Amino acid sequence: MDKPIQTPLSRTARLLDLVPYLATHQGVELLSLANDFGVTQSQMIADLTTLWMCGLPGYTPLELMDLSFESGFVTINNAETLSSPRTLNDEESIALLLGLDLVIESLPKDRSDLKAIALELVKRFSLRTNVRAKLAAIPAVAGSTIATIESALSKKQYLEMVYHSLYSDTISKRVVLPLEMRSEAGVEYLFGLCQSASATRMFRLDRIQALKLVSIPTEPVLEMQREGTNRSSYRIRVHSRPRDAAERFALDPASVLTEPEISSFSSEWVRRSVLASGGSIELLEPTDLRREVATVAKTVLSQYRAQ
Amino acid sequence: MLTVSRKIERLINLTIALLATKRYLTKQEIFRSVDGYEGSEETKERMFERDKDDLRNLGVTIDVGSFDPVFEDEAGYRIRPESYALDLGDISGTEIALLSLAAEAWRGAALDGAAHSALTKLRSMGVESDLDALPAIAPRLTTTFNGFQIIVNAISKRERIAFTYVSATLETQLRTIEPYAIATRDARWYLAGRDIDKDDVRTFRLDRIDGEILIVKSNGHFEIPEDFDVFASLRNEKKNNVATIDIRKGKAQLLRSAALSLVDKGEWDQITINYLDTTYIVDLVLWHGSDAVIIGPESLRNEIIESLESIVRVHG
Repeated sequence: MDKPIQTPLSRTARLLDLVPYLATHQGVELLSLANDFGVTQSQMIADLTTLWMCGLPGYTPLELMDLSFESGFVTINNAETLSSPRTLNDEESIALLLGLDLVIESLPKDRSDLKAIALELVKRFSLRTNVRAKLAAIPAVAGSTIATIESALSKKQYLEMVYHSLYSDTISKRVVLPLEMRSEAGVEYLFGLCQSASATRMFRLDRIQALKLVSIPTEPVLEMQREGTNRSSYRIRVHSRPRDAAERFALDPASVLTEPEISSFSSEWVRRSVLASGGSIELLEPTDLRREVATVAKTVLSQYRAQ
Repeated sequence: MLTVSRKIERLINLTIALLATKRYLTKQEIFRSVDGYEGSEETKERMFERDKDDLRNLGVTIDVGSFDPVFEDEAGYRIRPESYALDLGDISGTEIALLSLAAEAWRGAALDGAAHSALTKLRSMGVESDLDALPAIAPRLTTTFNGFQIIVNAISKRERIAFTYVSATLETQLRTIEPYAIATRDARWYLAGRDIDKDDVRTFRLDRIDGEILIVKSNGHFEIPEDFDVFASLRNEKKNNVATIDIRKGKAQLLRSAALSLVDKGEWDQITINYLDTTYIVDLVLWHGSDAVIIGPESLRNEIIESLESIVRVHG
């Protein structure tokens, strides 16, 4: 992520927030304090030095804040006036309220006790911070899925999962050594070594139906077959609903009406996508897959006519 | 650099002085007692005006009032501790833990910075977060959409916004709205508000907004209707239509997982499913090829037959 731009105002805000934080974290290590505020150690020393010059009118040692940080541990005294944390601004409140809504939706069904506490918090926040924006967040991925994967990643342990493959319309059990989590265009994936296929695979987190850690002695897989080396290309013509086509096939809007070429790892996916476009997309090439689309559509039509 | 530090010191000292005072301070008292006000009378006045604006921008409310009822014309200033400080009443370790989880959900996403500073303030209240009270969940909000903060600020300040939106026919339209709400479902983000030209409440997908979002200056601020709840549809409350679909045994997992009811018919299972939008359900059933057949309602059946005929026609 980009480093936030440092302005006099953002520094002032940080200094104001530093005082109550120090008041409740006396003796905190300088390095961990810098991390907590997302700045370098030397920036934190500069901040503390500035703060040292501030206090109540009079500005004698009796009125100035008393900071000590030479030892690498930071303490503050004589700072009662600023010792309450500042009220949240709208953006902070909205961030927490959206996050809380997501947490509520992610809690397991048997924790209605926690759900009640979180709902009460939302109510208190909306009233006290005066943010009356309408917010809602419904998670794509079960809350426990990410926590389980994170735990497997840190322990370098295998996961056993029940996975729904959308392309092949099957649900199967897989054993996977997780390598990393990735997010692409808002969709989260697990990238891992699939034991049954002896190859690396991408799994969409929202298609994982069940998940648990299993202990299997980690054996190196000698022959690694990498997925995605065999992309094929396909050509389509868009007859109607161009935005749907652009979104489904990730096309540049300018190319939609030019019989664009698309590439995919899976002819199964292309066939299903063309069918699911209900005649708004025509598959031009390859011709055998084009014939297959027509055949499937005719078969389904005969199913309707038989009833 | 030195002058910047001086300015920051002055802002902090002003905040402390105005917070500590039990009565209103006049400008002259501030200039006399608060460190950092130097130069001619005019310079000090200018400094003070700018400092007040800066503190206001930091969300610090300066109370302006009369400190002496006899001399009503002289304005005084103070910051009320109750408006400065975060007041959430009594807060428990479990509540702090829930709020931490809420803030953590933004890691790497649009409101990461705001969530982080909110969390710092919460941690400054001196209540230990009781993470052990929570089950192991780590929900995530994933958006890096550029205009996200602009939208959030516009909603909280009740300001109109304008943006270019990609229509279903891929044309771009300039839309001006009064933003009411922002929401996410299944990794997609939605913005709802009153479209000024259409004079109606509409929902927009953030990924269909093309380019920058502009703040539109207008006279006065709008109000969000109290009963506004377009996001009920996000929670399935508006999916009132029911379709009956035959799905092949062991197949059509996506439809199967959304089934309201299931009747075993031998080679097939018959399910019922809730839906909102006809095109959506037709596309979804078509995705499953010969493994799913719509039984009813009649209108939906006719719709899918028409689509199938169209597929055959263009691929003939």
